[in-house]
Amino acid sequence: MNIIEVHEVTKRYSNHLALDRVSLSVREGVIFGLLGPNGAGKTTLIRILNQITFPDSGIVYFKGHPLKEDDVRQIGYLPEERGLYKKMKAGEQAIYLAQLKGIDRDTAFKRLREKFRQYDILDWWNRPIEELSKGMQQKVQFITTILHKPSFLILDEPFSGFDPINTNLLKEEILNLKKEGATIILSTHNMASVEEICDEIALINQSRKILEGNLYDIKTQFKKNIFSLELKEENAGVTQLLNEHFELLESTALPHSIQYRIHIPDGKRANDLIAAVMQHADILSFNEILPSMNEIFIEQVETFNQAHAHEQQ
Amino acid sequence: MPMSNNKTLIIIAREYVTRVRKKSFIILTILMPILIAALIALPALLVLRSEQKQHTRVLVVDDTEIFINGFENNDNVTYSYASGNIEQLKQDAFDSEQYDCVFHILDNSAGLRSNLYYKKHIPSNLQSRLEGQMDEIFFNRMLMDSLHIEPDRFAKLQELTKSSVTTIQVDDQGVERENIAEMNEVIGMVCGFFIYFIIIIFASQVLRGVLEEKTNRIVEVLISSVKPMQLLTGKIVGIALVGITQFLIWGVLTFGLVSVAGLFVKGDILPAEVTEMAAEGGTMGAVPGTEISIFQQISDFFPFSFTQLILSFLFFFVVGYLIYATLYAATGSVIDNESDSQQYTLPVTIPLMLAIILIPSIATNPSGQLAFWFSMIPLTSPIIMMVRLPAGVPLWQLLTSMGVAVLFLLFCIWFAAKIYRVGILMYGKKPSWREILRWLREA
Repeated sequence: MNIIEVHEVTKRYSNHLALDRVSLSVREGVIFGLLGPNGAGKTTLIRILNQITFPDSGIVYFKGHPLKEDDVRQIGYLPEERGLYKKMKAGEQAIYLAQLKGIDRDTAFKRLREKFRQYDILDWWNRPIEELSKGMQQKVQFITTILHKPSFLILDEPFSGFDPINTNLLKEEILNLKKEGATIILSTHNMASVEEICDEIALINQSRKILEGNLYDIKTQFKKNIFSLELKEENAGVTQLLNEHFELLESTALPHSIQYRIHIPDGKRANDLIAAVMQHADILSFNEILPSMNEIFIEQVETFNQAHAHEQQ
Repeated sequence: MPMSNNKTLIIIAREYVTRVRKKSFIILTILMPILIAALIALPALLVLRSEQKQHTRVLVVDDTEIFINGFENNDNVTYSYASGNIEQLKQDAFDSEQYDCVFHILDNSAGLRSNLYYKKHIPSNLQSRLEGQMDEIFFNRMLMDSLHIEPDRFAKLQELTKSSVTTIQVDDQGVERENIAEMNEVIGMVCGFFIYFIIIIFASQVLRGVLEEKTNRIVEVLISSVKPMQLLTGKIVGIALVGITQFLIWGVLTFGLVSVAGLFVKGDILPAEVTEMAAEGGTMGAVPGTEISIFQQISDFFPFSFTQLILSFLFFFVVGYLIYATLYAATGSVIDNESDSQQYTLPVTIPLMLAIILIPSIATNPSGQLAFWFSMIPLTSPIIMMVRLPAGVPLWQLLTSMGVAVLFLLFCIWFAAKIYRVGILMYGKKPSWREILRWLREA
C-alpha cells in the first residue's frame, strides 16, 4: 500500500514554476530517497507534503485519503532550514514542540526524558539551547521530530551538522524507525547514504520528476556492462586478450593482486570473458560494477538539461 | 476546531511565560513604579523641606514711609518695620540673627529705589514678591490719595472690584462645564504618550519575536505543526498579555508606593504644590503627580465622562497595539537578518514618530484641523484621539475615528497574513517592494 501518492502536482511561484505535474508514490515501510539538484523543487514538494504550502493543481493522498490538516500528527518533519529557540531550555523547548504536535504535557515529558537519556543528553535538559554543541542541538531537533511516533517521516538533509560518529548513530536510528514500521522520505545530496539506506528513489530536476523506482532496479537499468576482474598477478596474455576482444578500461595494481575494469561490448557475454581468461590465469574474483547513484544522478540531470535546453531553443 | 484553538493557547502560553520570566521584565516591572514614585515624591519632599526651613523674616527700613505696615505677612514671610541708620540696623539684624534680610527703601527724588540685604540665602521668589507688593501698595496709595477715600472703604471697594475669569466649556448637548484647559492638555498628553509607549514597547516585540523565529530557522519546524496564522495570533496575543500584566503590576505598585509616600509626606502640601508644578510645567516627570492629586475631582473637570475616557483608552490601546503589531509582524517576516530591519521598519515607524512630534501642538489646540485629520488617520488616531479626548470631542468624530481604525485593523490583518505566510519561508534574500506587492496579489 502506498502511504503517499502525489498526483500531477503543479506549483507556480510568481517568477518560476516550482513543480510541473509531478506524480510519485511512496510505498509503506520503505526509505524513499528524494533526490535532485539545488532548486529542482524538492523543498516545495516537501512543503506541500507538510501542508506548509499548497499545490496550485493536483492532489496528494495520505494513506488513501486526500491530505488533511489533522494528518500532521502522523507526520514528522525535519526541515533543511531548522533551528530552535536559542534562549529556551532544551527540555522545555522539546516539550513545547511536542505539545504543538498534539501530545499532552505529561506524555511528552516522559517520552522526552527517555529519549534524552538514550541520546546521552539528559544532563543538558535544563540548559538553554545556545549552550549545547551543534551536535547536541541536532540531537534535540531530531528527537522532537520523531517524538510523536510519526508513521511518516520527512527528513531534509538530516546528516548536515553531524560528525561521522553521530551520522552513523542517525543512520541506525533511521533504519530502526523503518524496522518499527515507519515510512521515511530522505532528501539529501549525500549519495553514499542514499545507496546505503534507501530502498526507492525519485529524481527531480527542473520542476519535473525524471526518474523513480527501486534503487537496485534503477542501477541495473543504467548499468553499462562494466565488470571488475581480479587476478593474482599481472598476466600479459590476459591483458592482450582483454584489449583485443573486449574493452579494457583500466588496470590497477593492488598489493597482492591486479584488478581490471572491463567493458563488455554488446553481443558478448560475461561468460565468454571468464572462459577466455581461465585459460591464462586463476581468477580471484569477477563481478559486475553497477553505476553509483552519484553517476546516475549526474548523468541523468545533465542529459535532461541538454534535452531541455534544445526544447527551449 | 478544538485542536487548533488548543495549539494557539499553547503558543500564547509560551510567548507569555518566556517573556514574563525574563530578568529584564522583572527588573523593569519593579524599577518603573519606584522610579515613578520617586519622581512624584521627590519634588514633594523638596517642597516640604524648603517649606519647613524657609520662613523668612524681613526687616523693612522705609525711608519714604509710604510702605510702612503695607506688606502682607504670610506663612513664608513676615515683615517687621524699623527706621533709623540703615548701617546700624543692618548690623544689629544680622548679628542678632533676628532677621534674615533687611529691605531698605530709599527716599530718592529720582524714583523708587530699594536694596535687599541678606547674609545666608533668601527664597528665589522674594525679590519678585517684594516688587509686586510695592507696585500694588504704591498704586493703591496714589488712588486713595487722589480719590480721598478712607482706607477701610478703599479695601471694601477693592474686594468688590476684584476680577476673576472662569472657563466654561459648552458641549453639543448644550451642557456647560467649568473647565481647566491646562489640565485637559496634561491629561491628553499623558494618554497619548501612554498609547505611544505601549505601541513602541510591545508591538515592536512582535517584530523581534517574528524575526527571532525566522533567523533561528525554527519557523519551518513550527509551521509544520501549526498554521502560520495560529503562530502569529499566539504571538500577538501572548505579548499583549505581557503588556497588560506589566501595566497592572505598575499600576498597583505605583499606587501603593505613592500612597506610602503620601502618608510619609502627609498634609495637603503634596497635592497642591505638585498639581501646580504639573500644570505649569507639563513635563513627563511631574505628570503622574497630576493623576493622583486631582483624581477625586477629575470627573468634574471633564467635558467627557471619566468612564468614556477609560473605555476609549482601552479601545485605542487594543486597536493601536493590534494595528502596529500586525504591521510589525509583516515587517519582521520579510527581513532575513537584524541589520536589514531599519530599511523595512521605517515606513511603520514614521507615522508613530509623526504622532509623537504632533502631541504637544495637538494638546494645545485639540479641535483644530491638524488634530481632526490626524485623529482620523488610523496610523496616528490611537495616539492623537487620546490627546484630544479630555478637551472634548464630538461623538461622531470619536465614533468615526474608531470605525476607521477597526476597518484599517482588518485590512492590516489581511495584509499581514499574506505577507507573513510567504515571508517567513523566504531565506537568504531580501525581497523587493515589488515582490512583496506580488505576494499580496497571489497568496
